[in-house]
Amino acid sequence: MSRFEGKSLKSLLNKRTILSFLIILILVPAVIAFGIVFLDDRKYYLISLLIILLTMIPFFLSFESRRPSARELAVLAAMCTVGVAGRGAFFMVPQFKPMVSVVIITGICFGAESGFLTGAMTAFVSNFFFGQGPWTPWQMFCCGIIGFLAGLIFGRRPLTKREHPFVIIFGGVSTLIIYGGLMNLSTLLSSVMTINLQTVISVYASGLPFDLVHAAATVFFLIIALKPLTEKLYRIKIKYGLL
Amino acid sequence: MVSFQIKNLSFSYPLGEGKALDNISLEIEKGEFAVICGKSGCGKTTLLRHLKPALAPHGKREGEILFEGRDINSLPQREAVSEIGYVMQNPENQIITDKVWHELSFGLESLREEPCRIRLKVAETASFFGIQQWFFKGVEELSGGQKQLLNLASVMAMQPKAIILDEPTSQLDPIAAAEFLAAVKKINFSLGVTVIISEHRLEEVVPLADKVIVMEEGRSISCAPWEAYSLLKKMGNPMAEAMPASVKIAAEISESGERERGEKRLPLTVRDGRLFISEYMEGKVPAESGKTTRFSEKKVPDAVKARNLWFRYEKNGSDVIRDLNFSVKKGTFHAVLGGNGAGKTTLLSLLSGSLKAYRGKITVGEKGEKLKVALLPQNPQTLFVKKTLLEDIEEGIGAKMSGEEREKTARRAAEQVHLQNLLSRHPYDLSGGEQQKAALAKVLLTEPDILLLDEPTKGLDCWFKRELAEIIRELCEKGVTVIAVSHDIEFCAQYADYCTLLFCGEAVSTAPAKEFFAGNSFYTTAANRMARLFFPQAVTNKEVISLCLASKAKA
Amino acid sequence: MNTPFASLHPFVLLVFFLFAAGFSMFLMHPVFLVISFICAFGYSVYLKGKKAFKTLGMSLLLVIFAAVINAAFNHEGFTILLYVNDNPITLESLIYSLAAALMLLGVLMWFSCLNEVMTSDKLMCLFGKLSPSIALLFSMTLRFVPRFNRQLKKTVSAQKSIGRGLDEGGFFTKAGNGVKILSILITWALENAVETADSMKSRGWGLRGRTSFSGFRFDRRDGLSLAVLLLLIFIISAGIAVGAGDAKYYPAIVFPEFSFFGLTIYISYFLLMAFPLIFSLTEDFKWYRSKSKI
Repeated sequence: MSRFEGKSLKSLLNKRTILSFLIILILVPAVIAFGIVFLDDRKYYLISLLIILLTMIPFFLSFESRRPSARELAVLAAMCTVGVAGRGAFFMVPQFKPMVSVVIITGICFGAESGFLTGAMTAFVSNFFFGQGPWTPWQMFCCGIIGFLAGLIFGRRPLTKREHPFVIIFGGVSTLIIYGGLMNLSTLLSSVMTINLQTVISVYASGLPFDLVHAAATVFFLIIALKPLTEKLYRIKIKYGLL
Repeated sequence: MVSFQIKNLSFSYPLGEGKALDNISLEIEKGEFAVICGKSGCGKTTLLRHLKPALAPHGKREGEILFEGRDINSLPQREAVSEIGYVMQNPENQIITDKVWHELSFGLESLREEPCRIRLKVAETASFFGIQQWFFKGVEELSGGQKQLLNLASVMAMQPKAIILDEPTSQLDPIAAAEFLAAVKKINFSLGVTVIISEHRLEEVVPLADKVIVMEEGRSISCAPWEAYSLLKKMGNPMAEAMPASVKIAAEISESGERERGEKRLPLTVRDGRLFISEYMEGKVPAESGKTTRFSEKKVPDAVKARNLWFRYEKNGSDVIRDLNFSVKKGTFHAVLGGNGAGKTTLLSLLSGSLKAYRGKITVGEKGEKLKVALLPQNPQTLFVKKTLLEDIEEGIGAKMSGEEREKTARRAAEQVHLQNLLSRHPYDLSGGEQQKAALAKVLLTEPDILLLDEPTKGLDCWFKRELAEIIRELCEKGVTVIAVSHDIEFCAQYADYCTLLFCGEAVSTAPAKEFFAGNSFYTTAANRMARLFFPQAVTNKEVISLCLASKAKA
Repeated sequence: MNTPFASLHPFVLLVFFLFAAGFSMFLMHPVFLVISFICAFGYSVYLKGKKAFKTLGMSLLLVIFAAVINAAFNHEGFTILLYVNDNPITLESLIYSLAAALMLLGVLMWFSCLNEVMTSDKLMCLFGKLSPSIALLFSMTLRFVPRFNRQLKKTVSAQKSIGRGLDEGGFFTKAGNGVKILSILITWALENAVETADSMKSRGWGLRGRTSFSGFRFDRRDGLSLAVLLLLIFIISAGIAVGAGDAKYYPAIVFPEFSFFGLTIYISYFLLMAFPLIFSLTEDFKWYRSKSKI
């Protein structure tokens, strides 16, 4: 029985890897081609939206096929909760949110994949409370990819004190460039009809103050939370033998 | 037929000193209702977790556990999941998903049941437990009692042959606890499921039990429920105190009574206890109860006085506190009792000043006197910040002082609550009772003159309760006024100086504890309910026993 | 929320919202824009009553921003209305930016309806089978968030009772107390999550293979609704493929000429977009009638 199950899982795993390849190699170019051929003005938006959605799928698949343990899931759910509730707690101050910093710390402590998932899920669930919109996939992708990168860069071994400044810088820069950059792009593509230098500049310029506040928030929260929070997470990891 | 058979089981944790379980041999029959009791830290939870393979702790283990004749560790995983159910202490933590229906189906989904079968089984289970009214609700809308019932039901949906409950009612109020135990009894009686339950509130479960397993320092002894008290007492185990009042009184009387009582079973319920006392008192004149030791008639000034208090949470809501009048004497331990929703916690918030009454007045201390008020929250985990207990207590020091002084103060505070030996532990690695005491230490650092306690005995075993009572007494002697709201009648009867009954936001009566309970007929101790025909003034077990023994035969 | 349309099988709802939002995002023909916006807003009012107007107001902020940028930085078009700093503002770009604003509003309204209709149960039903771990992570997070908020309140008042209220002291004391409270809560969330994990394990999480149960059943009503929706979607897609949805704003405004075929597409589009509203109102009426017969 168990042997049979093992086999089916293996083939399933293969299916999943194949699917990831298919998505990246075939579906994404297909989407681009379709958009260029069939759609006029709105092609960029459709293409970008679909690409964002498609690129998230391999991440989800790899998490799913790893068959996360109960403890891992529970701890990640707790971190997502912290992110979501953090966004809720600061609802009065626009853009000043701890979400990205929580995602970065999760990525560092639990690895790139978990970082991606926590980011994407935090964005999704918080929009479940604060309102979904066309921006949801973008936010999911932005938070996810920041968590992923944080895990990739800093997550290989326990974080040392000397690395803290780099994490903080990474937080600020990634919030400004990745999160801000992509979210402005989404605004641009979704609501601005003609893309030219002027519209690009005006969208990015009008977004800049918000992005700066957001980046400052990430830096601020990382400065105060990085040490205690990583300590807490490492304790949990050791106490409960995670990963 | 044997359900669980434990043979020479020993276990030690990787980092722990000594054995957590020491050569335990036990048998639990199919369909049996077994109660495990012992002081916290005696290995109850460790033993119970060994009976559920998915939760078995890591460590060094010897001996064997058989489930229905097979080694428990060689059970196929699916069987181990479905046939042995496990319910833990905290109702909140065990709920996994956000919807009641999803929670019920969670186990069945894991077992790879077909959706149509799940539909049927979930429906059956929900009907059995009377969950259908809240079947589609979000978990967040349920009360604590409902949540724990949901946990039980979600385990029962997998149709286990045995279920293991680890202090399942410790976080519930008495009414919800009784409801929960009724459900457990129903499972045992009408489905024949083997039940193994550990509890520290033994009054209600022991009458249901077929067998009591007493644990002490990793060892266990099984006995019949009516023998457990004498056994515990002989061992000098503090859990003896937690046994039902009826068995305690009956055992003491028959032990020291001149009459031989033979092999008769001791009573386990108030009903049987009443019969027992009636039988014993036949042909005897009830002894006069000595004058109730009244609180010294000396005029003690009031520490807190509330006059005509009114409070509501929302403008158009109903009043939670209505026309409440009561006063608390300085340096006393004053208990406020009442059911759920009587306004107990609200009253505490009003006294602590975090809520303001919209009518009426609270006076703290006498004119010109400034008394500090502090509140010990119900959930001690709302206070823990640091990595170790010592750092955490130090963190609570408000005043500026040097590092050395800080540590000294912190150590003194820990001593005050008898925690000096655990200072290097992480607060979350402490047991429930120790956490409660740690929180108390932090609150005491603010040097309050009036200490407010919110359900201080919730989830504590009788050993911790006694310790808590001692700490409270010490504080009172130092002149601190302690006000506690509680569901715990026995605790208040035994230790409080004054009691107030709160009902629908009103203070219905306030009296010295003895008078208070002697005057009530429902809201009183089990001992009083048993003996009130003969000794209406007797409230505690001790009083009833001594009065019974003092009664002489009719001339 | 159990309005008639929302009680359809989640899959039907998913198909509807996918295409409703999708078409609304990409069709710039004014007739389509107007139909989509009116239907979305109508359904939103049906679902949320007065609150729908509030949502509309909030959305307007974003929309006005987009409209200004669109009008200001697009200088294509023949009909020049005025010059700002030597930059021409044209009639075409003005109209185009209005159309874009309407498009955005329509999309936002559909999303606000989606928010009301797609509850977590329905998402679980859709994705539980596809991806059990992620669906569970979603459900667990939804379970933890309100708990976390409740604990937050408890912690704030507990801290207050030992003299660390959020309303005491200067800014830095307050901020320090706030950070402390968050730290307490994070420890609490993490430490308690482990017990949840134990509960999952004891109920068989991690066994190979997992089925997914949801209370929803795909019945005849769902089948019929889906068939109608798919038919409409097919007609509209065919129409778009032959150019019925085309609209040119530059250099001059050109719409496809009016034709019967075009009218069919418009009607289909209306039927699709108004489907939730029509469905709900018919059901409400049926209920009302059966009630009044008693």
